[in-house]
Amino acid sequence: MLEQHREESLKYPIQTVPAPEGFPRPKYFAPPKGKPGTEAILQAAEAAGIVDEFDGVPLSQKLKRMRRLKINTVLACCADEDPYISGAAAVLRENPDAVISGLLLAARACGAKENKIVVETKREAKEIRRKNPNAELIVSGTRYPARALLKRKLQAAGKKTAYVGAQACIALAQALDDGKMQSETVITVAGDAVETPSNLRVRIGVPLQTLFDFCGVSDRARAVYIGSSIAGKMVTDLSTPVTADTRCVIATLRVPKRKVYSCVGCGRCSRACPRGIVPWRILREVGLEKPDPLRMLNAQKCIRCASCSLVCPSGIDLAGAVSKAAAIRKSGDFD
Amino acid sequence: MNLKRTNVPLIRSESTVASMMRDALFALVLLLVLPVVRYGFRPAVMAVVTGAVCAVSEVLFNLIRKLNRGLSDCSPMVTGFIIALMMPVNAPLWLPCTAGLFAILVAKGPFGSTGRNPFNPAAAGIAFVTVCWPSLVFSYCDPELVRNLPLFADCSVPTAVSPDAVLKSGLKPQILPFDMLWGDFPGPVGTTAVLVVAACGLYLFLKRTARWEITAFFLAAAAFIAAFFPRIACSAMTSVKYELLSGSLLFCSVFLVTDPVTAPHTTAGRCMYGAFAGAMVMVFRRYGAYQQGAVFAVLIANALAPLMDDLVFRARGWGSELREI
Repeated sequence: MLEQHREESLKYPIQTVPAPEGFPRPKYFAPPKGKPGTEAILQAAEAAGIVDEFDGVPLSQKLKRMRRLKINTVLACCADEDPYISGAAAVLRENPDAVISGLLLAARACGAKENKIVVETKREAKEIRRKNPNAELIVSGTRYPARALLKRKLQAAGKKTAYVGAQACIALAQALDDGKMQSETVITVAGDAVETPSNLRVRIGVPLQTLFDFCGVSDRARAVYIGSSIAGKMVTDLSTPVTADTRCVIATLRVPKRKVYSCVGCGRCSRACPRGIVPWRILREVGLEKPDPLRMLNAQKCIRCASCSLVCPSGIDLAGAVSKAAAIRKSGDFD
Repeated sequence: MNLKRTNVPLIRSESTVASMMRDALFALVLLLVLPVVRYGFRPAVMAVVTGAVCAVSEVLFNLIRKLNRGLSDCSPMVTGFIIALMMPVNAPLWLPCTAGLFAILVAKGPFGSTGRNPFNPAAAGIAFVTVCWPSLVFSYCDPELVRNLPLFADCSVPTAVSPDAVLKSGLKPQILPFDMLWGDFPGPVGTTAVLVVAACGLYLFLKRTARWEITAFFLAAAAFIAAFFPRIACSAMTSVKYELLSGSLLFCSVFLVTDPVTAPHTTAGRCMYGAFAGAMVMVFRRYGAYQQGAVFAVLIANALAPLMDDLVFRARGWGSELREI
């Protein structure tokens, strides 16, 4: 269990950052009339340019894929599964009804019978039920990677599940109601260099600097992560624009360092992996002169949650090794 | 704002190789308490000197090979402590030091240091001195007659026959069960206090530094053989009691076989490995030339460990659907 840092950013409701001057206004299109059918929902998702905030995949593509795979349970992901991010939880607290209506539309689009909202803790579930007693909730727990673990659990129970991000749900509902294109996203700004960690609603395309100015980030910040504190990436250029899948900006005073040892074979990586990959074996295979792709067990199933790197006591970048193995397998560049 | 870029994620688990080694070192230091109370500070001096010899030889080896590796992972000290605790308290100081030198300079360094050694360095070092100086390794002083031993000097003390030597000669050791639990009998200095060893094992398992399944299968296999093929004429339970509690078997099951580097990395492989090592210990006890064969059993099991992993993967067909392993 990881140490949680989200209390502070969840203390206040989501604040809206005004768009910089000269920033184009949100665009609208003509929404379908009457009760939208499957095709109408998919078209609206495409027209509104909705991108799922968790994986960065366009929602229309995702819904088509879900329909093809005959998904029977759609889960609206309101669990952030990251110790710094509270954006999805804040979105659900702010407007559970919009999430539910978006989720219903997504379920209709892919022909799923069941739909549920995933929250992280029982306490959170209680809070949401107080606001909307009809919400169908499922608790994922806070063990990282919560999304993948819950999915595995439900799969074992015979359910075919798929996630749709909370913000994507809301964007879908807005697209069908008013024909609004997705133009804003909720981002958690946190880290020890931030004066007031908070959730901000910003226009997509705004540079990170705007968020920093709004929240008051110390000049002594040395490292900035976006995406996730575990599997995210670092940025050095604050003019980087915010995208729909940015999710968080974490500014820290220290550049994290880590001593790297060689693999001691504790096997924690393979126990941590929610996809049944054996990262230590892949690391060994990737290090060989002629890696055998048939011995890179399940590398192509990696969801890049980086749980393996997280638990590794030697500090090895196992997630990197696995993605390298997946690339080798995909490329077909081997004898 | 002067931003840096690294490939280190913001969050990492707090358990590192160094912290795992520190846990092991802490458990080994706990084991020193009873011997220090019983014999004075000689066991502690022995452990510290051996640990220091191992650390220095590791540093020297890294300097000669021009490897940029420090001592931050504490593993040479763990090796040194294990070696010192498996020696008799009256052994001359050079004996564990020689074992330590062999462990680091022959069994560990040439293979690429921590994480790449195929054999447990401590087991290799002890095996080396056992083969070279068996009379010194197996002459245990009598805890009844000996109190304060000199700190550094060699000492000639009244020796006693250890229970595993009695078992080897086919007789039943005459020790009270209570003495057996607190280690009040002749044997390697750190391995006789069964209760403390068990507590240290529990600590390491709870801290997830060592994996319990190896120890469990090791002890189960040894107990099975002791129960069904007893060396002495007695009931099955008595045989199990004496075989498991005498000598260094329990100590090996907690500190030597659980070394993650030299054990298989899959759970099924670990179970196989533990059972195999446990069976080998009993084979060495029965047919071996020495009263103590645990280190040899560990070394042979080490050699087979990669094979056991491959066996597990082969049984699973490499690419097939994988779950918990």
